[in-house]
Amino acid sequence: MKEAVLPKPLRRPEAPQYPAYDTAQVAAVLARWADTSGNLLPILHDIQRALGHVPPGAVGQIARALNRSRAEVHGVITFYHDFRQAPAGRHVLKLCQAESCQAMGSRQLTAEVEALLGCRLGETTADGAVTLEPVYCLGNCACSPAAMLDGRVLGRVTRAKLERLLDAVGRG
Amino acid sequence: MWSELRALRDEIDYGTPPRDGAPVTLTIDGVAVTVPAGSSVMLAAAEARRAVPKLCATDMLEAFGSCRVCLVEIEGRRGYPASCTTPVEPGMAVRTRSDRLQALRAGVMELYLSDFPAADIPGGWSELHEVIQATGVAQHPYGRGENHLDAPVDESNPYFLFDPAKCIVCSRCVRACEEVQGTFALTIEGRGFASKVAASQGQPFLDSECVSCGACVQACPTQSLVEKSLFVGGYRRADSP
Amino acid sequence: MVKVCVPRDSSALSLGADEVAAAIAVEAVRRGAAVRVVRTSSRGLFWLEPLVEVETPAGRIGFGPVDAADVPGLFAAGFLGGGEHALGVGPVAEIPFLKRQERLTFARAGVTEPTSLVDYEAHGGLRGLRRALSMAPAAVVEEVVASGLRGRGGAAFPTGIKWRTVAAAEAPRKYVAVNADEGDSGTYSDRMVMEGDPFVLLEGMAIAGYATGASHGYVYVRSEYPHAIAALEEALAVLRAAGWYGADIQGSGFGFDAEVRVGAGAYICGEETAMLESIEGRRGMVRFKPPLPAIKGLFGMPTVVNNVVSLASVPVILDRGARFYADFGLGSSRGTLPIQLAGNVRRAGLVEKAFGVTLRELVEEYGGGTRSGRPLRALQVGGPLGAYFDSSLLDLPLDYEALARHRGMVGHGGIVVFDDTVDMAAQARYAMEFCAVESCGKCTPCRIGSTRAQELIDRILRGEDAPANHAQLLKLCDVMESASLCALGGMAPWPVLSALRYFPGDFGLPPATEAARVV
Repeated sequence: MKEAVLPKPLRRPEAPQYPAYDTAQVAAVLARWADTSGNLLPILHDIQRALGHVPPGAVGQIARALNRSRAEVHGVITFYHDFRQAPAGRHVLKLCQAESCQAMGSRQLTAEVEALLGCRLGETTADGAVTLEPVYCLGNCACSPAAMLDGRVLGRVTRAKLERLLDAVGRG
Repeated sequence: MWSELRALRDEIDYGTPPRDGAPVTLTIDGVAVTVPAGSSVMLAAAEARRAVPKLCATDMLEAFGSCRVCLVEIEGRRGYPASCTTPVEPGMAVRTRSDRLQALRAGVMELYLSDFPAADIPGGWSELHEVIQATGVAQHPYGRGENHLDAPVDESNPYFLFDPAKCIVCSRCVRACEEVQGTFALTIEGRGFASKVAASQGQPFLDSECVSCGACVQACPTQSLVEKSLFVGGYRRADSP
Repeated sequence: MVKVCVPRDSSALSLGADEVAAAIAVEAVRRGAAVRVVRTSSRGLFWLEPLVEVETPAGRIGFGPVDAADVPGLFAAGFLGGGEHALGVGPVAEIPFLKRQERLTFARAGVTEPTSLVDYEAHGGLRGLRRALSMAPAAVVEEVVASGLRGRGGAAFPTGIKWRTVAAAEAPRKYVAVNADEGDSGTYSDRMVMEGDPFVLLEGMAIAGYATGASHGYVYVRSEYPHAIAALEEALAVLRAAGWYGADIQGSGFGFDAEVRVGAGAYICGEETAMLESIEGRRGMVRFKPPLPAIKGLFGMPTVVNNVVSLASVPVILDRGARFYADFGLGSSRGTLPIQLAGNVRRAGLVEKAFGVTLRELVEEYGGGTRSGRPLRALQVGGPLGAYFDSSLLDLPLDYEALARHRGMVGHGGIVVFDDTVDMAAQARYAMEFCAVESCGKCTPCRIGSTRAQELIDRILRGEDAPANHAQLLKLCDVMESASLCALGGMAPWPVLSALRYFPGDFGLPPATEAARVV
């Protein structure tokens, strides 16, 4: 082993100041999965289900419970596109961007929905009502184009159909 | 015993850590070489003085297989296995140099250089520069595209700095932090082209879980992580006005 | 009491199946009709979804696609007695699309209630596992080897050989890990199994566990499949309660249990080693091989990694015998393949056939041509890493060898149809965009190459020194193919190169010579 070149530890700071979050809910999730091997993804899913996102402030709490570093947990959160570090809009609309839906006009549909909502894929409407996101296949390729609104899969989607559904959820 | 003997020898980086298995004999470019079972083809090639270019491999860390410049040809096998992650086998016939391998290594180097500061290529010293020399590839054909050249330098640590423009995302620093130091203060944030080295939750090194041990600096093959003491009067990027 | 079946498959739900089922129940009450609405799986005849089936003495009579608003009219037309209606499709089993298939793995699709064990057993379920438990584990492995079953996830590695390796490995613990991260656009057969017949997958897993000495299983399902996750959880609970999962299965002394793990939006986790990393709670980074997962897999232990359809095909092999299964298909492509028709096709759906059916039969006879009615221009076979073909290749049979000869692959069996409005340069660019979005970022050819390839295609399309950028694109594709760590970077060039080969005009490039078209 080669010698390390630098002198010894300077300081080992605590996690920086992040916005407050519900530590009790996170603790409950951590307790639920405590005895499961490879439990980080289920934990992150459950925290996101409970809090709407995985608050950066919770990373330290998760890391301590799992005896892992904040870096490791942060690396995992940022790898997976499902995990949000900030809350989404009140509704989440995902439009499939993959080949089968492209063959049925998803590019045009996406442009129309972007115009309708006034935001691009990956953005949230100014009023915070809808977050618009790309998704790469919902397995609904026999009924393209496909979309997902608040977890509900939609098939043979048209702009009019989406507009109706968005109005029905109040867009707000 | 093997590892002790080796430690007595020169300062060659064999690319992957030593193993202590039973002797295995293979040929590298026709030269017979005997190494312990469990060794990598890369290590055997270095033993045979037919060293293969490498970027993500160093013998202080376990093999990783990401940089793809150490590809070789092995008789009877399809494709171009990475020599760092391929264990030796008795009678294996390995080729470390061919026009085909040169073309592939050059193609990979061009990709690296397409996201590396051009002004830092001539005259620099680092393992990356050694591979630039070995492959003869000092420029790339891609023009200006998406890149990380404007990412800010992290100078928060008093002893070393991190210039992400020179980072080739080989993860040697991340792995050194884990395997050598056991600190796990570093990670790769994001994925794909957006992948970048991050301390803790993407913080300045000084505010992270980093204990300033320097293992990452020692592991870095591009001087992206580098001691500040090398820069009298402060760090300036080669391309800064 | 008339039994009326309405699918609970997510494609049917995406078209309003829940609303239709509710409307039937309400209308039945209003009319005082004795109706039992049963939520079944889907037949996979998706152009007819929501497909309502009424059980009559003459078999199941179908009506579709039904909208909730059609329900009063259906009652008025006497659909409960199989009466005439504009949406009537007659006896479902006689629909040519279905009748001409060879459904082994999907024998229960559209027939049974997904999580009714009684229904499952009444339709042949658990016979494979019963027989396996009466055999020596090694004999079970050899039965699967003899069937010629190859992995249906895309890599097509012989399933039985993989099992042999795991069975031979000495270890304190072994695992079965099911790859249910079905991310290829144009495919949905895994989803149909999990939502529609989850027991068959779990039965296949238990057989794999028995054969190889594994005691614990994981099903890694993508988060985009919420209904599949729910159905699997429900089915697991049913099997445990009935003593078919757990410490001592039916008093055999063999214990096996499993858990469902949910992905988090990463196509790369369909690569087996990235999936293992993800199950272990890490970034889904591809591992190098060797060691093979069969030797050193999940948590460092020998692990059977199989695709959903591969494992779902195992119970019928054990039930009917290797010979029965191998008699379907030809050459080294044995058994049946669930083919999924998708994109711009009139009759999109699942076609389970013995290997050897041609693309033309699939797209024209089963599929009925494009949904838009415009001429067919291109097909993508085998997912986002599969080749694009033009209509001159429609007579290719869909088997591993024939497609490989044309630099294509069966992949997971998806076929996406495009009409003549498609811009193949945009499709080629998308292939690299997808690779860039989904790259794990470990190896350089994929991490940087996919972004550079998009930039090169953009320059070609802008007419900036097109010949030079075209030449560089070919060189880059070669580097990605030969130097990438896994199939994502290694095969992302396939759709690009095939689009260039068959549709050079879309890139503003001169027509390919005949020599360039023949590969």
